[in-house]
Order: sequence, then structure tokens, then C-alpha cells
Amino acid sequence: MKRFVALFCALILTLPLLASCGTREDDKDKDSDGKTILKVAVLESAYGKKMWENVAAAYEADHTDVKIELTAEKNLEDVIGSKMKSGDYPDVVHLATGREAGLTETMIRENSLADLSDILDEKVFGEDVSVKDKLIEGFTDTAATHPYDDDSMYMAPMFYGPCGLFYNAGLFAQKNWTVPTTWDEMWELGQKAEAEGMALFTYPTAGYFDSLMFALLCETGGVDFYNDCMRYKEGVWEDKNAREALDIVARIASYTEPTTVANANNDNYLKNQQLILDNKALFMPSGTWVVGEMADAPRSEGFEWGFMALPAIDSDSDRYSYTYFEQIWVPENAKHKDEAKDFIAYLYTDKAVKIFAESGAIQPIQGVSEILEGENKLFYSIYDTGAKPVLGGFAATDPVEGVSMTDTLFGTVNSIVSGDKTVDEWQNAIKKANDSLRKALKK
Amino acid sequence: MTEFMRKHKGRRAFLSVCTIPALILFSVFMLYPTLNIFIISMYKWGGYSQHREFVGLDNFVKLFSDAKFWQSFQNTVLLIVIVTIVTMAMALLTAAVLTREKLRFKGFFRVVFYIPNILSAVVIAAIFSAVYDPSRGLLNTLLSFFTGGSAGQVLWLGDQKVVIYSIAIAMIWQAVGYYMVMYTASMSSVPESMYEAASLEGAGRVRQFFSITIPLIWTNIRTTLTFFIISSINISFLLVRAMTSGGPDGSTEVFLSYMYKQAYTNSSYGYGMAIGVLVFLFSFALSGIINLVTRRDSVDL
Repeated sequence: MKRFVALFCALILTLPLLASCGTREDDKDKDSDGKTILKVAVLESAYGKKMWENVAAAYEADHTDVKIELTAEKNLEDVIGSKMKSGDYPDVVHLATGREAGLTETMIRENSLADLSDILDEKVFGEDVSVKDKLIEGFTDTAATHPYDDDSMYMAPMFYGPCGLFYNAGLFAQKNWTVPTTWDEMWELGQKAEAEGMALFTYPTAGYFDSLMFALLCETGGVDFYNDCMRYKEGVWEDKNAREALDIVARIASYTEPTTVANANNDNYLKNQQLILDNKALFMPSGTWVVGEMADAPRSEGFEWGFMALPAIDSDSDRYSYTYFEQIWVPENAKHKDEAKDFIAYLYTDKAVKIFAESGAIQPIQGVSEILEGENKLFYSIYDTGAKPVLGGFAATDPVEGVSMTDTLFGTVNSIVSGDKTVDEWQNAIKKANDSLRKALKK
Repeated sequence: MTEFMRKHKGRRAFLSVCTIPALILFSVFMLYPTLNIFIISMYKWGGYSQHREFVGLDNFVKLFSDAKFWQSFQNTVLLIVIVTIVTMAMALLTAAVLTREKLRFKGFFRVVFYIPNILSAVVIAAIFSAVYDPSRGLLNTLLSFFTGGSAGQVLWLGDQKVVIYSIAIAMIWQAVGYYMVMYTASMSSVPESMYEAASLEGAGRVRQFFSITIPLIWTNIRTTLTFFIISSINISFLLVRAMTSGGPDGSTEVFLSYMYKQAYTNSSYGYGMAIGVLVFLFSFALSGIINLVTRRDSVDL
């Protein structure tokens, strides 16, 4: 019996070995025609997956030696995550930061992304222009593409869109209200709206305060100050500019529609967005995707989407709008890194840009505004009409257990609205998170 | 060697061979993953890459000073206590009424009580989101009917002091039916003659319930209690994830939702597994304690 137990234990211990040998067996490099198989994994977002299928087909037509194996899923992390854990990596991944599963953040924090810098100098397929010259300036020198604050690009910019405040332009016309351009005008409007039984503000979930906060920090302290905040500089949150931004958010909180907090979760956030369509609240922070998200929702008479950058601090200071963009990247452990880079460069060809734009997915390409139609024209022209763009986000750190800047900085807004926390408590918590993350900053 | 011993040996070998498949399955799907979690909990690892750094018990040390973890701990314990007490009481009561009392539509009630149990957590979350809706929800509409619409709305999922109880209500609603059916089954095996004898002695219904029904189904209650407590740790995660995502501002964070946030969103897989280890030990200890305090001499008929 003893011998039997010993044998059994030994068998168990060898199991993981066997398992790790087994996984690579069916991994095929080339298909039966000798074509290289390029595994492309993309998030199926509101734009749909048809456009990816079309682009993949176009790429295959132009590159007869490559066969693309496309994975387009809404829960992409679940599909590729377990495979990646066992060593089977896709070659190209289109998945932005800011998702709940945090796969992209984990790849950044673990230094597991391939350097994509040479894509920038590559010529766009069939065109006499390099990728760098084709992209709109400013998109390839932010923390969202260069997470380690050096000269290397690890993520390439894909679909972008301005973020700001959305409102019902029809309502403003009916009531003869002017759209506020400074925060003081905003608060005045808040009083007027209250008299009519409307709230000034709502938000889908507290996470949507990221774009608002980033633009607000630029307004109160300037772009350099914003960058200091993103690099977790010491004492930056005790600064009066930071306090001013937090106070403005607290003031926004006091004008927030009372049921907002109860619905500010992944299950019910559409109810908050509906408040704008029903004229129960005037403004909400969001990105351009909200129009598609609410396309089938019932709306008040004369409803028309309006969109603006944040109001300015005073009449002669700048207004800012955060530019959100999704990233595409290559895992360091991918098998066909060169082909992967080539594929990414192909995504900036006129052909691909057109296919994406038809589904509403806009890339930061020079002159892209010329192919825009309808509401998109209004949204993407926000920077032509005076607002300054804000790009990037928090710098990459090693993971710090139990500390999350996004939870502390944005999640707490719910408690500010409900009155469970004061601005002082909020500021202290941010300062603490800032201190622990600074120590973990990637060198 | 005698004939008897040889036979005996052959029998043992046969039994060993028979248990091998079960042992292998148990080891591969239970022992090995559990062991693995204990090992990973001692690493700093994001979950996807090849970089793993051994940090010993560092993750556990950090865990003990992590205020958000303790908040999720408190919430979980609160849910376990409230939900267990209320669910068990309601399940026993409804089971007793359905077996002992002469009611019409007994079968119908049984089905109605049981239905929530076959719904998935996502459906339950959707139902309760509609019930708790601050402006059009069932609860607030009902309340305004009594208060004449003058009182302010209750934010069932927005008020940080209320929201954890809102989750508890959904959990109770979900669980009562299942346990009711379990108890009905064991209650109907209690012989009718005992109740007859008791009522001849002058014992009322309440007395009968506590002195006959409960002691006679005690073994069943014990088993279900342990089972229920372990499963509420899971169900609370499913409901929290679907209903509030742990919010507002962490006020409904439970063990497993916090573990998920740390292991994935915060790229601290090792730390997440350390939480997993604590949850494992906690559930183990809790079941042990429950087993101990509910030990009674079994009543045999």
C-alpha cells in the first residue's frame, strides 16, 4: 500500500511536466500551402468584427504568403488569456488599456510587449509615405504608446475619439440657453436648470471621470502639471492646482442627478445616459461611442446630440478635451514579430483606413476629417474650434498590490456625490496612492 | 501464507485499482490546482508573462495591512451571517408550513419558491436591478404609495449604508426555495405518529416544530448549513459582479470580487492568489467551527 501511495504521488508530480510538453504540439507555424499563419486577436467592440474580416482579407490579397487567423471576440481576454498563460501567444493584439480584465496593463507592467518603434519609419504598403508621416502629430509620443517614458513605442495608436461633455443641443435651442464656456457659467446654468426641475450633471459610471479629470488637470495647472500628475511626481496632489480640480469635481458632484450613483455600475449605466435623452440631466462626460450606444434609445422631442470640450476656468484660459485612442500591440513572445509589424503598418493604408471608417472606427491619420460624415464631423472638429487636445494617461508602474490609482481617483467620485467622503479624505487617499505608485514607476 | 491471506491480498489490490480513477481525477482537478494556488500566492507575478519573482509570505503581509481587503472581508462576513440566518429560518418555516399544514396549491407554492434557484445570477441581477431602480423600480413605487410620494427615494444600489443589504435580499430570494425543498424532503420522512402522540400530550404546533421536527432533521440542517455557507461566498461574487461591480466606491466588494480585481485589473495575480488562499482557509475553518458547534447526539427512531 505504501509503495502504491508513493508511486501515485510521483505520478501527480510529473503531471505538470506532461501538460507543458503537450501544449506546443498542435501549434502550427505554416498551413498546408506553406503560408505563414499570422494570429491576429482583436476586441470586437461597438464597431463590429466585419471591418476586421475585410481588412484581413485585403491584407491576404496583397500578401499571398500570409494567412491570417483572426480571433474577434467581445471577451477577448477570456479567449486569449488562458492560451497565453500556457505559452500560446497571438502575433497581433488589438486591445486597449482601461479594460476590467487589465490584460494590456499586465503586459505593460510585466515588460512583455515587443518594441514597435521601427514601424514608424516603415513605408505604408503601396504608398510613398512612412507611417510616422501619415499619423497625426502627437499620437506617437504619449504614455499610451511609450509606456516606459523612453524613445521606444510599444503600442501603436488605432481608433481614436475626442472625449468631453455630451448634451441635448435641441434642449438648449428650445430654452434659449447658451452653452457654458466657463465653469462659472456652468454653475449659473445649474441654478437655472434646477428651477426647471432638471439636474446639471450625470455620469455613466465613475470610471468616466478619467477623461474629465485629465482635461481638468490641464485647465487648472497646464499640460506640464498634468504630465507631472501622470508621472506620480512627489507632492503633486497637494498642489493648489490639483485641489482646484478636485473642488470642481466636488462642485459637479453637488449638481449631479440624485439617482446617478445607484445606476453608476456596469449593469445600469445606460439608465444614466438615458437621463440626457430624457432631459432630466444636462451634461455627461463620455466619448463619441455614446451616440452608437444610445442609437435605439427613446428620446425627448427635438433631441439632437451636442458635444463640447470642458468649460474653461475663466474666459481667457484654454479649454481642453481628452483624446481617447485604442492601442494595438505585439507580445514579446509572439512567433512572427516581423510579419506582425508589417500587418500593423498595413492598417494605416488608405484602403484599410477606409474600411475602418465605414464602420465608424476612425484612425489618427492626416486628413481623416475629410472622410467623416454626419455627427462624427461635429465631434472630430472639436480641436479645430479652439479646444486643445490632451493625450496619454498614467505612466506604467510595476504592479503594486492593493493600490489602484483609477479606483482612488475616479471610483471615489461616487462617495463624493453621495457625501460619504469629503474632498480632504479623497485628496489624502490620492496622495497615498501617488506615493506608493511612484516607488514602483518603471525605470 | 494461508489461503485466507492470499485471498485478502487479492481483494485489497482489486480495491486499490478501483479507486485509482477517482483518485487521479481528484488529484488532477482538485489537489493539483489547490496546491498550485498555494505556490503562486508566494510569487509576485502578473499572470501572463514568464517573469515570476519569489517573494515568500510578502503577499500575505501586504494583505493584512490592505484596508480594502478588510472591507471586502467585513462585507463577506456580514453577508454570510445575515443571509444564512434569514435563509435558514425562512426555508425551515416554509418547509414546515408546506408539509404540516393543510394548504391548497401546495405543489404550486413549491414550484414558485423553487424557481429563483434555476435562474442564473445574471438574470437575478437583472430582476433586482429592475426592482431596485430608484425612479421606476417596484420597491420605490411601493414605498411612495404608502408615503404618498412625499418621502425621498431610497437608492437601494446607491446608498453605501443600504446597498449591502440589497445584495443580501437578492441572495436570500435566490436560495430559500432550494433549501425549502431539501427540508421538505426530510420533514416528510418524520413519522406522522410522533406528531399525533405529541398533540395528544398537548403540544402545540410551535412546540412540535422545535421539539420534533428540528431534532429529527438536524443531520440534514447541519449538512446544508456548511454547504450553504461555502456556496454563499461564490453566489455573493456572482451577484456583486453583475449588480454593482463592487461599488459604489468599494462598498459591496466581497472576497472574490476583490480577488478578481487584484489578480486581473491590478495585474497582481500572485496577490490575488494569496487572497484565494485566505478565502480557502477561512471557508475551511468556518465549516469546521460550524460542524463543531452544531454537533448533537443524533436522534434515532
